[in-house]
Amino acid sequence: MTDSESTKPGTLPGLVNGDELVRHLRDTLDRAASLAGALSEALARISPQQPQETEPAFQERLRAAETDAHDLASRLVESENQLGRLMNLYVATYQLHAVPDPAQVRATIADISVNLLGAQQFVLLLRRDETADWEVALREGIRDPSAFPLYAADAYTIGGDPQVDATLVDGSLKLGPFTDSTALAVVPLKFQQEVLGVLVLLKLFDHRPPLRADDRELLDLLSAHAASALLAARLFAAKDRRLKTLESLIRLARPE
Amino acid sequence: MLARRFPGGVLAVSTVSTVLVVDDSALMHRVYEVMLRDRPMLHAHDGDEALRLIDQRSDIGLVLLDINMPTISGFEVLDRLRAAGRVPGLPVIVITTEGRDEEAARGLAAGAAAYLTKPFRSEQIRDTIARLESSAKT
Repeated sequence: MTDSESTKPGTLPGLVNGDELVRHLRDTLDRAASLAGALSEALARISPQQPQETEPAFQERLRAAETDAHDLASRLVESENQLGRLMNLYVATYQLHAVPDPAQVRATIADISVNLLGAQQFVLLLRRDETADWEVALREGIRDPSAFPLYAADAYTIGGDPQVDATLVDGSLKLGPFTDSTALAVVPLKFQQEVLGVLVLLKLFDHRPPLRADDRELLDLLSAHAASALLAARLFAAKDRRLKTLESLIRLARPE
Repeated sequence: MLARRFPGGVLAVSTVSTVLVVDDSALMHRVYEVMLRDRPMLHAHDGDEALRLIDQRSDIGLVLLDINMPTISGFEVLDRLRAAGRVPGLPVIVITTEGRDEEAARGLAAGAAAYLTKPFRSEQIRDTIARLESSAKT
Protein backbone atom coordinates (compact mmCIF):
# COMPACT_ATOMS: atom_id res chain seq x y z
CA MET A 1 0.00 0.00 0.00
CA THR A 2 1.32 3.40 -0.96
CA ASP A 3 1.23 6.42 1.26
CA SER A 4 -1.20 8.10 -1.09
CA GLU A 5 -3.66 5.22 -0.85
CA SER A 6 -3.40 5.05 2.95
CA THR A 7 -4.24 8.70 3.27
CA LYS A 8 -7.01 8.76 0.68
CA PRO A 9 -10.27 9.85 2.34
CA GLY A 10 -12.82 7.05 2.82
CA THR A 11 -10.25 4.28 2.95
CA LEU A 12 -9.09 2.05 5.77
CA PRO A 13 -5.50 1.12 6.21
CA GLY A 14 -4.71 -2.11 4.29
CA LEU A 15 -7.76 -1.90 1.99
CA VAL A 16 -7.11 -1.13 -1.60
CA ASN A 17 -10.51 -0.75 -3.19
CA GLY A 18 -14.26 -0.72 -2.64
CA ASP A 19 -14.66 -4.50 -2.98
CA GLU A 20 -12.29 -5.11 -0.17
CA LEU A 21 -14.03 -2.48 1.87
CA VAL A 22 -17.36 -4.20 1.33
CA ARG A 23 -15.82 -7.56 2.23
CA HIS A 24 -14.41 -6.00 5.42
CA LEU A 25 -17.74 -4.51 6.32
CA ARG A 26 -19.48 -7.85 5.70
CA ASP A 27 -16.93 -9.65 7.90
CA THR A 28 -17.42 -7.09 10.62
CA LEU A 29 -21.19 -7.44 10.44
CA ASP A 30 -20.91 -11.25 10.54
CA ARG A 31 -18.69 -11.07 13.61
CA ALA A 32 -21.12 -8.62 15.25
CA ALA A 33 -24.02 -10.97 14.51
CA SER A 34 -22.22 -13.94 16.01
CA LEU A 35 -21.34 -11.91 19.10
CA ALA A 36 -24.96 -10.78 19.45
CA GLY A 37 -26.08 -14.39 19.19
CA ALA A 38 -23.64 -15.48 21.87
CA LEU A 39 -24.78 -12.64 24.13
CA SER A 40 -28.43 -13.61 23.67
CA GLU A 41 -27.65 -17.22 24.59
CA ALA A 42 -25.80 -16.10 27.68
CA LEU A 43 -28.67 -13.84 28.76
CA ALA A 44 -31.16 -16.65 28.16
CA ARG A 45 -29.18 -18.94 30.47
CA ILE A 46 -29.28 -16.51 33.41
CA SER A 47 -32.73 -15.15 32.78
CA PRO A 48 -35.95 -16.92 33.74
CA GLN A 49 -37.60 -19.15 31.23
CA GLN A 50 -40.72 -17.03 31.15
CA PRO A 51 -39.70 -13.40 30.98
CA GLN A 52 -43.15 -12.22 32.05
CA GLU A 53 -42.59 -13.85 35.50
CA THR A 54 -39.15 -12.37 36.18
CA GLU A 55 -40.26 -9.72 38.64
CA PRO A 56 -42.37 -11.88 41.03
CA ALA A 57 -39.93 -14.81 40.89
CA PHE A 58 -37.04 -12.50 41.56
CA GLN A 59 -38.84 -10.91 44.46
CA GLU A 60 -39.60 -14.35 45.88
CA ARG A 61 -35.96 -15.39 45.62
CA LEU A 62 -34.93 -12.13 47.24
CA ARG A 63 -37.33 -12.66 50.14
CA ALA A 64 -36.07 -16.22 50.62
CA ALA A 65 -32.45 -15.01 50.60
CA GLU A 66 -33.27 -12.31 53.14
CA THR A 67 -35.00 -14.83 55.40
CA ASP A 68 -32.00 -17.17 55.18
CA ALA A 69 -29.61 -14.33 55.98
CA HIS A 70 -31.74 -13.30 58.97
CA ASP A 71 -31.86 -16.89 60.24
CA LEU A 72 -28.10 -17.24 59.91
CA ALA A 73 -27.55 -13.97 61.75
CA SER A 74 -29.87 -15.09 64.58
CA ARG A 75 -28.05 -18.41 64.83
CA LEU A 76 -24.71 -16.65 64.90
CA VAL A 77 -25.86 -14.38 67.75
CA GLU A 78 -27.19 -17.38 69.67
CA SER A 79 -23.90 -19.23 69.13
CA GLU A 80 -21.98 -16.24 70.45
CA ASN A 81 -24.24 -16.08 73.51
CA GLN A 82 -23.87 -19.81 74.08
CA LEU A 83 -20.11 -19.50 73.81
CA GLY A 84 -20.16 -16.70 76.35
CA ARG A 85 -22.20 -18.78 78.79
CA LEU A 86 -19.91 -21.78 78.35
CA MET A 87 -16.92 -19.58 78.97
CA ASN A 88 -18.46 -18.31 82.21
CA LEU A 89 -19.23 -21.86 83.32
CA TYR A 90 -15.68 -22.99 82.60
CA VAL A 91 -14.05 -20.08 84.39
CA ALA A 92 -16.37 -20.36 87.41
CA THR A 93 -15.74 -24.11 87.76
CA TYR A 94 -12.01 -23.71 87.33
CA GLN A 95 -11.70 -20.99 89.93
CA LEU A 96 -13.96 -22.66 92.52
CA HIS A 97 -11.72 -25.71 92.59
CA ALA A 98 -8.41 -23.90 92.11
CA VAL A 99 -7.51 -23.42 95.77
CA PRO A 100 -8.70 -25.89 98.48
CA ASP A 101 -9.09 -23.22 101.13
CA PRO A 102 -12.52 -22.43 102.65
CA ALA A 103 -11.90 -18.67 102.78
CA GLN A 104 -10.73 -18.67 99.18
CA VAL A 105 -13.77 -20.64 98.03
CA ARG A 106 -16.05 -18.15 99.78
CA ALA A 107 -14.16 -15.30 98.08
CA THR A 108 -14.58 -17.00 94.71
CA ILE A 109 -18.33 -17.39 95.29
CA ALA A 110 -18.43 -13.65 95.95
CA ASP A 111 -16.29 -13.02 92.86
CA ILE A 112 -18.62 -15.05 90.64
CA SER A 113 -21.66 -13.29 92.05
CA VAL A 114 -20.21 -9.83 91.39
CA ASN A 115 -18.27 -10.28 88.17
CA LEU A 116 -20.26 -12.93 86.30
CA LEU A 117 -23.79 -12.53 87.68
CA GLY A 118 -23.68 -8.78 88.27
CA ALA A 119 -24.97 -9.00 91.83
CA GLN A 120 -24.49 -5.84 93.89
CA GLN A 121 -25.92 -7.11 97.18
CA PHE A 122 -25.95 -10.70 98.39
CA VAL A 123 -25.34 -12.87 101.41
CA LEU A 124 -23.92 -16.35 101.82
CA LEU A 125 -25.38 -18.50 104.57
CA LEU A 126 -23.43 -21.58 105.61
CA ARG A 127 -24.31 -24.33 108.05
CA ARG A 128 -22.19 -24.15 111.14
CA ASP A 129 -20.35 -27.39 111.78
CA GLU A 130 -22.27 -29.86 113.93
CA THR A 131 -25.12 -27.42 114.58
CA ALA A 132 -28.42 -26.45 113.02
CA ASP A 133 -27.43 -22.78 112.85
CA TRP A 134 -26.84 -20.87 109.64
CA GLU A 135 -23.90 -18.50 109.78
CA VAL A 136 -23.88 -15.32 107.70
CA ALA A 137 -20.51 -16.20 106.17
CA LEU A 138 -20.49 -13.40 103.63
CA ARG A 139 -22.29 -10.08 103.33
CA GLU A 140 -21.52 -8.08 100.20
CA GLY A 141 -22.65 -4.61 99.15
CA ILE A 142 -24.87 -4.03 102.20
CA ARG A 143 -23.62 -0.77 103.63
CA ASP A 144 -26.72 -0.21 105.77
CA PRO A 145 -27.51 -3.39 107.77
CA SER A 146 -30.99 -2.07 108.54
CA ALA A 147 -31.87 -2.44 104.86
CA PHE A 148 -31.72 -6.22 105.27
CA PRO A 149 -32.15 -6.83 108.99
CA LEU A 150 -32.46 -10.60 108.52
CA TYR A 151 -28.78 -10.73 107.62
CA ALA A 152 -27.42 -8.03 109.95
CA ALA A 153 -26.31 -10.41 112.68
CA ASP A 154 -23.75 -13.21 112.50
CA ALA A 155 -26.42 -15.87 112.18
CA TYR A 156 -29.61 -16.24 110.18
CA THR A 157 -32.72 -17.17 112.11
CA ILE A 158 -35.10 -19.66 110.54
CA GLY A 159 -38.49 -18.04 110.00
CA GLY A 160 -37.06 -14.83 108.62
CA ASP A 161 -37.56 -15.32 104.84
CA PRO A 162 -39.98 -17.97 103.49
CA GLN A 163 -38.04 -18.52 100.27
CA VAL A 164 -34.73 -18.89 102.08
CA ASP A 165 -36.29 -21.21 104.66
CA ALA A 166 -37.83 -23.38 101.93
CA THR A 167 -34.53 -23.61 100.08
CA LEU A 168 -32.62 -24.58 103.22
CA VAL A 169 -35.02 -27.50 103.55
CA ASP A 170 -35.71 -28.67 99.98
CA GLY A 171 -32.44 -27.60 98.35
CA SER A 172 -34.09 -26.35 95.16
CA LEU A 173 -33.02 -23.24 93.27
CA LYS A 174 -35.56 -20.43 93.39
CA LEU A 175 -35.68 -17.52 90.94
CA GLY A 176 -37.73 -14.48 91.87
CA PRO A 177 -39.09 -11.96 92.07
CA PHE A 178 -41.14 -13.13 95.03
CA THR A 179 -44.08 -11.56 96.78
CA ASP A 180 -43.00 -12.83 100.20
CA SER A 181 -39.25 -12.29 100.03
CA THR A 182 -36.66 -9.57 99.43
CA ALA A 183 -34.49 -12.07 97.55
CA LEU A 184 -34.11 -12.03 93.77
CA ALA A 185 -32.83 -15.59 93.81
CA VAL A 186 -31.99 -18.20 96.41
CA VAL A 187 -29.28 -20.63 95.33
CA PRO A 188 -28.72 -23.75 97.43
CA LEU A 189 -25.19 -25.02 97.85
CA LYS A 190 -26.00 -28.69 97.69
CA PHE A 191 -23.74 -31.75 97.71
CA GLN A 192 -25.36 -35.15 97.34
CA GLN A 193 -28.74 -34.01 98.71
CA GLU A 194 -27.14 -32.24 101.66
CA VAL A 195 -27.62 -28.47 101.76
CA LEU A 196 -24.41 -26.86 103.00
CA GLY A 197 -25.69 -23.32 102.61
CA VAL A 198 -27.48 -20.84 100.38
CA LEU A 199 -26.48 -17.83 98.33
CA VAL A 200 -29.17 -15.16 98.56
CA LEU A 201 -29.05 -12.58 95.79
CA LEU A 202 -30.69 -9.37 97.02
CA LYS A 203 -29.92 -6.76 94.35
CA LEU A 204 -28.29 -6.60 90.93
CA PHE A 205 -26.28 -3.68 89.61
CA ASP A 206 -28.51 -1.03 88.09
CA HIS A 207 -27.14 -1.55 84.60
CA ARG A 208 -27.64 -5.31 84.81
CA PRO A 209 -30.91 -6.63 83.31
CA PRO A 210 -33.08 -8.87 85.55
CA LEU A 211 -32.08 -12.51 85.99
CA ARG A 212 -33.19 -14.62 83.03
CA ALA A 213 -33.43 -18.28 82.16
CA ASP A 214 -29.92 -17.98 80.67
CA ASP A 215 -28.52 -17.17 84.11
CA ARG A 216 -29.92 -20.39 85.50
CA GLU A 217 -27.05 -22.42 84.03
CA LEU A 218 -24.52 -20.44 86.03
CA LEU A 219 -26.69 -20.60 89.15
CA ASP A 220 -27.07 -24.38 88.78
CA LEU A 221 -23.32 -24.69 88.42
CA LEU A 222 -22.79 -22.55 91.48
CA SER A 223 -25.25 -24.71 93.40
CA ALA A 224 -23.28 -27.90 92.71
CA HIS A 225 -19.69 -26.82 92.34
CA ALA A 226 -19.59 -24.22 95.09
CA ALA A 227 -20.86 -26.89 97.49
CA SER A 228 -18.34 -29.52 96.41
CA ALA A 229 -15.49 -26.99 96.41
CA LEU A 230 -16.45 -25.84 99.90
CA LEU A 231 -16.66 -29.40 101.21
CA ALA A 232 -13.32 -30.34 99.65
CA ALA A 233 -11.71 -27.22 101.05
CA ARG A 234 -13.04 -27.95 104.54
CA LEU A 235 -11.80 -31.54 104.42
CA PHE A 236 -8.42 -30.41 103.14
CA ALA A 237 -8.19 -27.77 105.87
CA ALA A 238 -9.11 -30.32 108.55
CA LYS A 239 -6.52 -32.83 107.28
CA ASP A 240 -3.93 -30.07 107.04
CA ARG A 241 -4.57 -29.06 110.64
CA ARG A 242 -4.22 -32.67 111.81
CA LEU A 243 -1.03 -33.06 109.85
CA LYS A 244 0.46 -29.92 111.40
CA THR A 245 -0.59 -31.12 114.86
CA LEU A 246 1.09 -34.48 114.29
CA GLU A 247 4.22 -32.80 112.97
CA SER A 248 4.35 -30.60 116.09
CA LEU A 249 3.99 -33.65 118.33
CA ILE A 250 6.75 -35.45 116.46
CA ARG A 251 9.05 -32.46 116.83
CA LEU A 252 8.34 -32.33 120.55
CA ALA A 253 8.90 -36.05 120.98
CA ARG A 254 12.13 -36.08 119.01
CA PRO A 255 15.20 -35.95 121.22
CA GLU A 256 17.37 -32.83 120.77
CA MET B 1 6.01 2.44 69.61
CA LEU B 2 3.08 0.17 70.07
CA ALA B 3 0.33 2.72 70.59
CA ARG B 4 -0.32 5.96 68.79
CA ARG B 5 -2.53 8.95 69.29
CA PHE B 6 -4.37 10.19 66.23
CA PRO B 7 -6.01 13.52 65.47
CA GLY B 8 -9.33 13.80 67.27
CA GLY B 9 -8.01 11.98 70.32
CA VAL B 10 -8.50 8.50 68.93
CA LEU B 11 -6.09 6.10 70.53
CA ALA B 12 -4.81 3.12 68.63
CA VAL B 13 -3.31 -0.15 69.76
CA SER B 14 -1.06 -2.38 67.74
CA THR B 15 -2.26 -5.93 67.21
CA VAL B 16 1.07 -7.40 68.29
CA SER B 17 1.26 -5.70 71.68
CA THR B 18 0.88 -7.31 75.08
CA VAL B 19 -2.28 -6.77 77.09
CA LEU B 20 -1.83 -5.90 80.77
CA VAL B 21 -4.75 -7.02 82.91
CA VAL B 22 -5.09 -5.16 86.21
CA ASP B 23 -7.65 -6.65 88.58
CA ASP B 24 -7.67 -7.92 92.17
CA SER B 25 -9.96 -10.81 91.15
CA ALA B 26 -8.27 -14.07 90.15
CA LEU B 27 -11.53 -15.04 88.48
CA MET B 28 -11.39 -12.03 86.16
CA HIS B 29 -7.81 -12.80 85.18
CA ARG B 30 -9.03 -16.25 84.13
CA VAL B 31 -11.95 -14.66 82.26
CA TYR B 32 -9.60 -12.43 80.27
CA GLU B 33 -7.28 -15.36 79.52
CA VAL B 34 -10.19 -17.21 77.92
CA MET B 35 -11.75 -14.22 76.17
CA LEU B 36 -8.47 -12.94 74.76
CA ARG B 37 -6.66 -16.24 74.41
CA ASP B 38 -5.04 -15.22 71.14
CA ARG B 39 -3.11 -12.34 72.73
CA PRO B 40 0.03 -12.20 74.86
CA MET B 41 -0.99 -11.16 78.36
CA LEU B 42 0.54 -9.89 81.60
CA HIS B 43 -1.23 -9.93 84.94
CA ALA B 44 -1.19 -7.42 87.78
CA HIS B 45 -3.29 -7.97 90.91
CA ASP B 46 -3.10 -4.45 92.26
CA GLY B 47 -2.31 -0.92 91.13
CA ASP B 48 1.25 -0.88 92.43
CA GLU B 49 2.13 -4.02 90.51
CA ALA B 50 0.51 -2.54 87.40
CA LEU B 51 2.51 0.67 87.60
CA ARG B 52 5.70 -1.32 88.13
CA LEU B 53 5.03 -3.52 85.08
CA ILE B 54 4.15 -0.55 82.87
CA ASP B 55 7.43 1.04 83.90
CA GLN B 56 9.48 -2.09 83.24
CA ARG B 57 7.87 -3.51 80.11
CA SER B 58 7.95 -1.69 76.81
CA ASP B 59 5.80 -4.30 75.05
CA ILE B 60 2.57 -3.38 76.83
CA GLY B 61 0.25 -1.86 74.27
CA LEU B 62 -3.10 -2.05 76.04
CA VAL B 63 -4.23 -1.98 79.66
CA LEU B 64 -7.48 -3.44 80.99
CA LEU B 65 -7.87 -1.62 84.30
CA ASP B 66 -10.38 -2.54 86.98
CA ILE B 67 -11.57 0.48 88.91
CA ASN B 68 -12.65 -1.18 92.15
CA MET B 69 -9.42 -2.41 93.75
CA PRO B 70 -8.60 -2.39 97.45
CA THR B 71 -5.19 -0.70 97.87
CA ILE B 72 -5.19 1.93 95.14
CA SER B 73 -8.19 2.27 92.84
CA GLY B 74 -8.08 2.17 89.09
CA PHE B 75 -8.75 5.91 88.98
CA GLU B 76 -5.66 6.51 91.05
CA VAL B 77 -3.60 4.31 88.75
CA LEU B 78 -4.92 6.33 85.81
CA ASP B 79 -4.05 9.60 87.53
CA ARG B 80 -0.49 8.39 88.18
CA LEU B 81 -0.11 7.26 84.59
CA ARG B 82 -1.31 10.65 83.38
CA ALA B 83 1.07 12.44 85.72
CA ALA B 84 3.89 10.33 84.30
CA GLY B 85 2.82 11.20 80.76
CA ARG B 86 1.96 7.60 79.88
CA VAL B 87 -1.68 8.28 79.06
CA PRO B 88 -3.34 9.00 76.77
CA GLY B 89 -0.48 7.52 74.71
CA LEU B 90 -0.98 4.09 76.27
CA PRO B 91 -4.56 2.91 75.62
CA VAL B 92 -6.40 2.07 78.83
CA ILE B 93 -9.84 0.46 78.95
CA VAL B 94 -11.38 1.01 82.40
CA ILE B 95 -13.53 -1.84 83.68
CA THR B 96 -16.04 -1.35 86.46
CA THR B 97 -19.09 -2.89 88.04
CA GLU B 98 -20.85 0.45 88.33
CA GLY B 99 -22.83 1.59 85.32
CA ARG B 100 -22.98 5.23 86.32
CA ASP B 101 -22.32 7.82 83.63
CA GLU B 102 -20.21 9.92 85.98
CA GLU B 103 -17.79 7.04 86.44
CA ALA B 104 -17.48 6.64 82.69
CA ALA B 105 -16.94 10.36 82.28
CA ARG B 106 -14.35 10.41 85.05
CA GLY B 107 -12.43 7.55 83.48
CA LEU B 108 -12.46 9.07 80.02
CA ALA B 109 -11.51 12.50 81.38
CA ALA B 110 -8.58 10.90 83.19
CA GLY B 111 -7.24 9.59 79.90
CA ALA B 112 -8.92 6.23 79.39
CA ALA B 113 -9.59 5.21 75.82
CA ALA B 114 -12.77 3.28 76.54
CA TYR B 115 -15.07 2.07 79.30
CA LEU B 116 -16.76 -1.28 80.01
CA THR B 117 -19.07 -2.44 82.76
CA LYS B 118 -19.10 -5.90 84.29
CA PRO B 119 -20.49 -8.35 83.58
CA PHE B 120 -19.63 -8.06 79.90
CA ARG B 121 -19.71 -10.54 77.06
CA SER B 122 -16.56 -11.54 75.22
CA GLU B 123 -17.70 -9.84 72.02
CA GLN B 124 -18.06 -6.54 73.89
CA ILE B 125 -14.46 -6.45 74.97
CA ARG B 126 -13.24 -7.84 71.64
CA ASP B 127 -15.24 -5.20 69.75
CA THR B 128 -13.84 -2.44 71.96
CA ILE B 129 -10.27 -3.62 71.36
CA ALA B 130 -10.95 -4.08 67.64
CA ARG B 131 -12.21 -0.52 67.46
CA LEU B 132 -8.97 0.73 68.96
CA GLU B 133 -6.94 -1.53 66.66
CA SER B 134 -8.76 -0.41 63.53
CA SER B 135 -7.66 3.13 64.31
CA ALA B 136 -4.08 1.91 64.30
CA LYS B 137 -4.48 0.59 60.77
CA THR B 138 -5.97 3.78 59.30
